[in-house]
Amino acid sequence: MHTISFRVNGELQTVSVPATATVLELLRERLHLTGTKEGCGIGECGACTILLDGAPVTACLVLAVEIDGASIETIEGETEDGQLSGLQQAFIDAGAIQCGFCTPGMIMSARGLLRKNPDPSDEEIREAIAGNLCRCTGYESILSAVRLASERRKGDSS
Amino acid sequence: MLGDFEYVRARTIRDACELLKDGGGEAVAYAGGTDLLVEIRNGLRAPKLLVDIKEIESLRRIDLGDESSPIALGAAVPLNRIAEDESLRGRIAALTEAALTIATYQLRNRATIGGNLCNASPASDSIPPLLVAGAVLRIEGPDGGREVALRDFCTGVKRTCLECGEILVGIRIPPLATGTRTAFLKQQRIRGHDLAVVNVAGALSPSDGTLRIAIGSCGPTPILLDPIKTGADTAEAITKEAVRDAQAAASPISDVRASAEYRRAVLPVLVRRMIARLLDETGGV
Amino acid sequence: MSLVKMPSQRPKAVRRGLRVNAEGFALEANRGRSCEVSDLKYVGKGVSRSDGVDKVSGVARYTHDLIVPGMLHAAVVTSPHASARIVRIKTDAAAAVPGVRAILTGDGLCYRLGLYMQDKCILAREVVRYQGEAVVAVAADTVDVARAACRLIDVEYETIDATLDPRDAMQSGAHLVHPDLGLYEHMQGVFFPKPGTNIAHHQKIRKGAFDAAFRAADVALTASFYNPPVQHVPLETHAAIAQVLPGDRVEIWTSSQSPYTVRHLMSAAFGLPHANIRVHVPYVGGGFGGKAGLGLEPLAYVLSRAAGGRPVKVVATREEEFNTLASRQGLHSTIEIGCTSGGKIEALKSTYIWDAGAYADYGVNIGRAAAYSGAGPYEIANCWIDSFVVYTNKVFGTAYRGFGHLEVLWGVERAMDMVARKLEMDPAAFRRLNLLKEGDTTITGEPFTSGHGSPIGCLDAAAQAIDWETPSEKPAEPHKIRGKGIAMLHKAPAMPTYTSCAVVIKLDEDGAADILVSGVDYGQGTYTVLRQIAAEELKIPIEHAHVTWECDTAFSPYDWQTVASRFAYMGGNAVIEAAADCLRQIREVAAQALEASPEEIVCEDAAAFVRGKPETGIPYRELALGYTFPNGNSIGGPVIGHGRFIATGLTHLDQETGQGLPAQYWTYGAHAVEVEVDTETGEIEILKIATAIDAGKVLNPKLVVGQVVGGVIQGLGSALWEGFRFDENGRFLNPSFVDYKIPTAKDLPLEMEQIFLENPQPGGPYGARGVAEHPMISVPSAIGNALFDALGIEFTTLPLSYETILLKTLEAHAEKE
Repeated sequence: MHTISFRVNGELQTVSVPATATVLELLRERLHLTGTKEGCGIGECGACTILLDGAPVTACLVLAVEIDGASIETIEGETEDGQLSGLQQAFIDAGAIQCGFCTPGMIMSARGLLRKNPDPSDEEIREAIAGNLCRCTGYESILSAVRLASERRKGDSS
Repeated sequence: MLGDFEYVRARTIRDACELLKDGGGEAVAYAGGTDLLVEIRNGLRAPKLLVDIKEIESLRRIDLGDESSPIALGAAVPLNRIAEDESLRGRIAALTEAALTIATYQLRNRATIGGNLCNASPASDSIPPLLVAGAVLRIEGPDGGREVALRDFCTGVKRTCLECGEILVGIRIPPLATGTRTAFLKQQRIRGHDLAVVNVAGALSPSDGTLRIAIGSCGPTPILLDPIKTGADTAEAITKEAVRDAQAAASPISDVRASAEYRRAVLPVLVRRMIARLLDETGGV
Repeated sequence: MSLVKMPSQRPKAVRRGLRVNAEGFALEANRGRSCEVSDLKYVGKGVSRSDGVDKVSGVARYTHDLIVPGMLHAAVVTSPHASARIVRIKTDAAAAVPGVRAILTGDGLCYRLGLYMQDKCILAREVVRYQGEAVVAVAADTVDVARAACRLIDVEYETIDATLDPRDAMQSGAHLVHPDLGLYEHMQGVFFPKPGTNIAHHQKIRKGAFDAAFRAADVALTASFYNPPVQHVPLETHAAIAQVLPGDRVEIWTSSQSPYTVRHLMSAAFGLPHANIRVHVPYVGGGFGGKAGLGLEPLAYVLSRAAGGRPVKVVATREEEFNTLASRQGLHSTIEIGCTSGGKIEALKSTYIWDAGAYADYGVNIGRAAAYSGAGPYEIANCWIDSFVVYTNKVFGTAYRGFGHLEVLWGVERAMDMVARKLEMDPAAFRRLNLLKEGDTTITGEPFTSGHGSPIGCLDAAAQAIDWETPSEKPAEPHKIRGKGIAMLHKAPAMPTYTSCAVVIKLDEDGAADILVSGVDYGQGTYTVLRQIAAEELKIPIEHAHVTWECDTAFSPYDWQTVASRFAYMGGNAVIEAAADCLRQIREVAAQALEASPEEIVCEDAAAFVRGKPETGIPYRELALGYTFPNGNSIGGPVIGHGRFIATGLTHLDQETGQGLPAQYWTYGAHAVEVEVDTETGEIEILKIATAIDAGKVLNPKLVVGQVVGGVIQGLGSALWEGFRFDENGRFLNPSFVDYKIPTAKDLPLEMEQIFLENPQPGGPYGARGVAEHPMISVPSAIGNALFDALGIEFTTLPLSYETILLKTLEAHAEKE
């Protein structure tokens, strides 16, 4: 067993894990943060996307032992003090949610993009979420949501 | 939980080699894990020890120097860093273009250039550009290091010449002749992330009159064709020769992704288009 | 009581979709046509979904996320063979693994399950019928222990003949997948299995005299087509938790589209009274038909029983979702059409051979529904259809959005184009001539009326949207070429004649309304629509209309299944009735309080007052739990309204002729598409796809656009990329996203347009009809038709992969030389 200390959504956690545990299992089963979903287990669908030291990764293919000293952000951290973030609100306003199972992963991919690139082109948005599969929406509304979030942010800062 | 293994972080290359050697065939180097962990999950591999090499600083470096220096890529550089390095794109665009087509954005934050090479898939996207660039691999083992030309590295489907205890530590791309242009094209089944049905990379050096081409997913390993002398030949003649060479070297199979017939049909198209693009960029031969 | 809010004799204003502002209100008025001024406050507006907050914040809990104290986890051993006898199963080593609590094989589970035909076992018994079939199940403390135990289980098989192609399976002497077919229970009078064969059901349509009409036709065509099996690919794989409780009870949590059908089929299978089975459905991560009927619940139940009543959770891996769980049936179709030289279709005959896979418990109804819809939305005097649902040794099929119609209309709509070409007629003009119009009769003998909506209106709107009259431009690149194509779609809900839905509305202390339903909102947005209708009818602000998200058969009222594009229609009508019931109760009590008669009481703005005297208004919150006079006397009581809807006027189809009334309502539509093909690689780009649907009434423009865009992209998947691959032994070759590709954000058409016609549906809530499945149907057909326009090649097999397009293009060139 390995003892690891890491931050999840800003909170320090210390747990003991076997080498074979994935971050996805750690989040869902140990920390009961079930917002991050499993869609395939092989990194192909993006449903388990989280931010690892700010970079979007699929948690199913990261070992828990690796995140000692690291900072993880999950969908649960997107809401602050019960307030939805601009990105979450944009998803609602743009009608970018149907069954919702891909939504946490989509939002984390979008969050990773907007942090790095607050004013992305349509192409850049598409590239950022291309690794997140959605079967319900047909993606157009999701692209609109990310666009809307970035436009509103621009509006805020001006 | 995936499989049944232990995990250790190597602090130095020496450590890593020792750990791999001591583990016999049951210890493996672990970088991005995007191939390895999937294989463990699917029961295709069952290592007992994962030796994490990501902390070894020298494995994570990109050294570009200037136009006349070699490029040095650490084996554990994630593919997104390769894809997003604009200076690297300025030196070897084919590698950047190839990196951008590998997997997804999330997977590229983890998957490494070294991992892509060591996985040695016949459909690898990073190998053809590195082949045409004449890349040389730096390998370290418990008894010291050696260099292997990339074209000698892959020995079969998903097999390399790495011995037990050895790890790939770096990729050296010798300085390309002045004015060299590179390009990469890949045929997929869908615009979203996909493995290559066929891929090609090319490097055209007007200053030394050479065209180098590598083709992928047309044989057990990616294939570097013999260099083509461009000399005073027309674009049409060069293209014809390149297509002929590519077709002669290719032995594609039919698998769940594509038929051999489709691969054979698309290969010359990609070769032609790639050459056209290279010629465009250099303003002709 | 009339449920149609805006009856109209003439086609209504056409609303172009997609352009809505953040509040969901249409940004532009319909150009150049008159609009009826709407006095509706919520219905017809782009209200945002109510579950959005839970879903974006990660708090929405799906069955995947649920934990029941003491829960065990399951894993299964699946068959490596398509067809084999199970000789021996050795489980000793597995049983010895610490943490293993139960191991089951099919031996002790002699149940036959199924909605329409009971042919399915929980675990394979005596034989395995497809590669991937579950043979042994283990429940253990953790899923890793369960999987480790599974790896220690040794199953000995003796392979036997397999039958993999349904056309072979229909021949005499073929290996029988179900030798005991004659013993299976099935819905009598509706389904007709043929014992001693592999035919699970044969549906016939016999209208008129096909042979004579075909022989007499001026122009005739015969063509064959193929759809491979595909999978729904819900992002949340199937999952179920069951806990057996003392006293023959069971509590179930499941990712399902049909809690009451789960309950009913469990009752039928295990002999438990309905009240002893409690089914919860939390948030569901996609279904598309694949989670209708029974899924993993029976397995979870028997494992819990075997584990002494410990709750057991069964979650499918993605590979199991593809390889072990339900799919969409493959289809081989042959279509014969005979026309007059003027272009009128006189005769059509279709033979549909459905590849049901190893079980047809749901599949038989697809064979039935596809038959009665099986000639497309056309007036055809002489129509014969034979629809055979045939067993093969492959993974079994079930309902999937469109319920056979995408598969059937791939052939029919392609054949329509082919015959139009033979007639040298424009494909749109040919269709216009033959589409059902008022006064025509469908192939099951149903009269077509203006209440059905306007197929021609849809055709015209879609055609106009891609400038059908103007041929495609030639692209600059010499190796690229473009083409345009059109295809019609239609569907009615395929459901039993007794399908029903009930709704309860209870008022909160503050006068807000809780709406209880057990239709499931697994993404379509129906709950939001029901809130809109409730708010509209109850005269309360939409923020005060709530739908309780989780369904629980203990207290959510009955709904048959959330399939068939029927929930908004039936649930909407039931909400209207329930709201009226609430208002009746409110008016009765307010009347007493205000010393008036109930007929004089008006409800507006969450208050009840005497007509003409709003100042007398009593707010609902003072009536919701009864009313208390100043002196303390109380009257009335908690306001709880109920409403219901049952399918009306439906009949079984005649076994010989297929004549009858199977359809509560029809929804018609059309897709028009322009494509561009790279003739050197076969890559195809969708430049534009325009979709026109006669929705009757758009209840929520934001949500319906979401349905259409989502459905079109799902249809695009079937059109260009999706299909199961098997080797010569019936082994499934692509059970993962590596080699089963669905569209990503990079695979979208350059432009998509949605057009909604609003010719009201008599009997529909506010005139609405169902539209949920329709957007997916005929997307492949339109693309196939466009490919002919571009390349002059007839594509008859799906998917239209780049490889298929290129190889057929090369073949066509070779033939020319």
